[in-house]
Amino acid sequence: MAEDSDLAKLPQATVVPGKRFRVSIVWAIPILAAVVAIGIAVQRILSEGPTVTVVFRSAEGVEAGKTFVKYKDVNIGQVTAVQLSEDYSQVEVKAKIAKHAAGLMVEDARFWVVKPRIALTGISGLGTLLSGNYIGFAAGKSDHPRRSFTGLEVPPIVTGGVPGRQFLLHADTLGSVGIGSPIYYRRLPVGEVVAYDLAADGKTVDIKIFVHSPYDKHVNPGTRFWNASGIDVSLNANGFDVRTESLAALVAGGLAFDTPVFAPTAGPAAADTAFTLYGTRAVAMKQPETVARHYALFFKETVRGLSIGAPVTLFGMPVGEVTDVGLTFDPATLDIHPRVEFTFYPERMVMRLSGKQEVAAQALAAGSEQKRYVVLRRLVEERGLRAQLKTGSLITGQLYVAFDFYPSAPRAKIDWSQDTPVLPSVESLVPDLEAKLPEIVDKINKLPLQAIAEDLKKNLETLDQTLKSANKLVSHVDTDVVPELKGTLEEARRAMAAAERVMKGAESTLVGPNAPTQQELRDTLQEVSRTARSLRVLTDYLERHPDSLIRGKPEQKFGRQ
Amino acid sequence: MYNLASIPPRCLAVETVACPGCDLLQRIPPLPSGGKARCPRCGHLLATQPSDPLDRSLALTIAALIVFVIANTTPMMGLSAVGREANTTLLGGAYQMWLQGREITAAVVGFCTVIAPAGYLACMLVVLLAVRRPPAPQWIGELLRWANFMRPWSMNEVLMLGILVALVKIAQLATVIAGIGMYAVFVLIVLLAGIMVSFDPREVWRRVEWAAGEQRIPVADATSGPGRAA
Amino acid sequence: MSGNELTAVQAGLVSCDTCDLLSRPAATVQPGHCPRCGAPLEWRRHQSIQHTWALLIAAAISYVPANVLPVLTTNTLGSSESDTIMGGVIYLYTSGSWPLALIVLIASVMIPMGKIIALAYLLITVQRGSIKNNRDRSRLYRVVELIGRWSMLDVFVDTFVVALVQLQPLMSVEPGLGVLFFMSVVVLTMLAAQSFDPRLIWDAGRRRQVAHG
Repeated sequence: MAEDSDLAKLPQATVVPGKRFRVSIVWAIPILAAVVAIGIAVQRILSEGPTVTVVFRSAEGVEAGKTFVKYKDVNIGQVTAVQLSEDYSQVEVKAKIAKHAAGLMVEDARFWVVKPRIALTGISGLGTLLSGNYIGFAAGKSDHPRRSFTGLEVPPIVTGGVPGRQFLLHADTLGSVGIGSPIYYRRLPVGEVVAYDLAADGKTVDIKIFVHSPYDKHVNPGTRFWNASGIDVSLNANGFDVRTESLAALVAGGLAFDTPVFAPTAGPAAADTAFTLYGTRAVAMKQPETVARHYALFFKETVRGLSIGAPVTLFGMPVGEVTDVGLTFDPATLDIHPRVEFTFYPERMVMRLSGKQEVAAQALAAGSEQKRYVVLRRLVEERGLRAQLKTGSLITGQLYVAFDFYPSAPRAKIDWSQDTPVLPSVESLVPDLEAKLPEIVDKINKLPLQAIAEDLKKNLETLDQTLKSANKLVSHVDTDVVPELKGTLEEARRAMAAAERVMKGAESTLVGPNAPTQQELRDTLQEVSRTARSLRVLTDYLERHPDSLIRGKPEQKFGRQ
Repeated sequence: MYNLASIPPRCLAVETVACPGCDLLQRIPPLPSGGKARCPRCGHLLATQPSDPLDRSLALTIAALIVFVIANTTPMMGLSAVGREANTTLLGGAYQMWLQGREITAAVVGFCTVIAPAGYLACMLVVLLAVRRPPAPQWIGELLRWANFMRPWSMNEVLMLGILVALVKIAQLATVIAGIGMYAVFVLIVLLAGIMVSFDPREVWRRVEWAAGEQRIPVADATSGPGRAA
Repeated sequence: MSGNELTAVQAGLVSCDTCDLLSRPAATVQPGHCPRCGAPLEWRRHQSIQHTWALLIAAAISYVPANVLPVLTTNTLGSSESDTIMGGVIYLYTSGSWPLALIVLIASVMIPMGKIIALAYLLITVQRGSIKNNRDRSRLYRVVELIGRWSMLDVFVDTFVVALVQLQPLMSVEPGLGVLFFMSVVVLTMLAAQSFDPRLIWDAGRRRQVAHG
């Protein structure tokens, strides 16, 4: 057939052997593995946070690879290495911080080791006995990142983020105040002492305190701070005074503050305002007198018992204070006698006046010197204003200066020639027994004792007769007067019993078996012993079932306890 | 008696071997893909014919090496109890054992879980790469011997079960978190099994340069010492 | 079957351990080296019976302290509790996970014991020249070789429990001396299985056959 031969003559197509697909599907496995490995590595690198170095003096319980860095109870990093510093004096702790916490590593961030601590403020960090020590962290407010820090040896009293305000106090001495000492406002603990340091000039102590909110708004520029540590006992011409703030203040020292009534009303004080720390409440709340006049007095008697700060009174009301007790010496006449300086606060006197008089007197007190001189001179010369030493307390022998009018006193003038004007004084009534004794003995000697004895005999005889008639009278009295007497006696006894009760009551609040302080103490002791008992039960149980600490008490299984 | 001369020389398709289990002389016919040859007398597995023996084994070996690196560098599992946390890698476990004073145990554990598998994989990798272009150098044979030696000592699947038991023991006390390392070990076990199944040593021996020179007869003459014969 | 059976030894050929190549030995006592892979040749594994016995006896001796000495000591808040292998099994059982207890029991107690007994049986039958159950004995040997490594289970369990539970002073775990002995049991039995030459099982039969003509 023509078609067949045509077909046979057709050229032969070239045979191209098919390319075998060399790469089989199994290569997907290593490729997949490589992809996964790279993915893990990349993720690791990307989620790497910074490494910080913290230098401590000692790093108790800090282990590489185990100890965590915690902030607000969240792990933000882990310690990677613990080694000595180059000069072997400190410990360098390197920690890797998680990426999400990298922003916290700023200049004023703080690190410290959290471990069980017993301090004035209490016991802290007990949880670390179970969970192991960790490094605590307090965030800072700065913006500058930082990678190397110095660790605190003691945890900061106030960790960042606690609302409140910091203030600065200047004090003469630290007293019994320490870090963590409480700060009271109206007996409520509202803050604590954060730090203290000697001022640059070495003359005062700077104390930093922190007052929590919402109490910090009660601190305004006119607020006064005083040292409320311990018991304030004062024994002076004013009497015996005992004050204490609280048991904690007794032990740990404490400060208190309040705003005196005379302070100008103002908004809360700004943070870091400086205040003066006064020694006692009395001193702190004392209204500063704007007007003070200094005068001096000469006395011709002993001024033993007159101390600086002793009150100067006018008609018994305090108008000033003694500021100096010294001597004055006149070389010409060789005359030495005591000289007392005192400060007179006219405001105190003016305060006691009422209404319009107060206003007028204030105007006078603040008015011109000339007018005041005139008033004072008239008081001294015309009315007889004199100073006298009086005994404030017979027990302690404390003296004070009392001004009063003595119309019969010899005329005297204010001596304006001295630097401090000298006011006149009169002798005190302080009995000077020694001087008087010879006089008394003399007088007794002069007594006509013989004549008196004879008179006495005659009188005694008359007395005898009088007594006999008196007897008769008494029998009458028995029936009339005695019942009344009895009644009076009864009353007196009742009064004494009441007085006894009052005294007992006073005793009980302070000393008696039911005194509240003692009651508190006893309650606390009971609590402590109860706690100790339950703690013992717990440790006993734990000893027998150690894993129950983690697992909790197991359910009853297979009858095994 | 068999006439040795009747065995045709250069017959690569049919091999004559002595069974390693009972020393019986026998011939292994060409096997179909996926087929196996067993000794008729004692049942010992003589040879397998996996499909694509060299390529597949190589791919799996590379993958296994990568996974091995992952398994050893990422944490295996983590423990969390009472606010404390801990985690460990494979070597970390052996290291802890060392720290606790059981040095010999630590060394053996480290060998069985890390060194043996690593050695096996490394040797296999080199062997499989080298035989892609025959003839492979002679020391490949040595490497293959090392790989065979390390194979029974890489106990990763026993390790896996051991970890699971340890997990259960600890999980009653604390929260346990499985890490990437654990999954990696699991994958490693699968890959190792795959390598052993897909590898045919006969292919390697066919491509390796003979220590005693170019001789390709089924029954060779043993040499008196190592090194090349003339 | 015996008619066509010919072992390499009988044919005067030696088989290479590494590459399975049959070769004519260079000399009768020292067969030489394999021409293909260069590995040293030997008719049977060197001193197989002696070495296997030595390793087996060592393993049996180690078996006692492995089970008597504690493998794990748990320290909780100062008090410590020691556990042997059996103790661990019981703990797993009583705490509810009995499948794991079973696994640990088989792997840590039965398998090593089984291995020692099996290898001893194989050695004794070979030395007595027994010809019965050759095939079963070969199979037994293969099983012993295969499952031997699973006895390492407890060692790995201990390693990881120790590595993880280090939470002083709350709870920490220490490995005991029992771990060392147990591990040596496993290693020794593995080495013993490797040093035993299964071809000896069939050699005895062949020798008998030859003797009986």
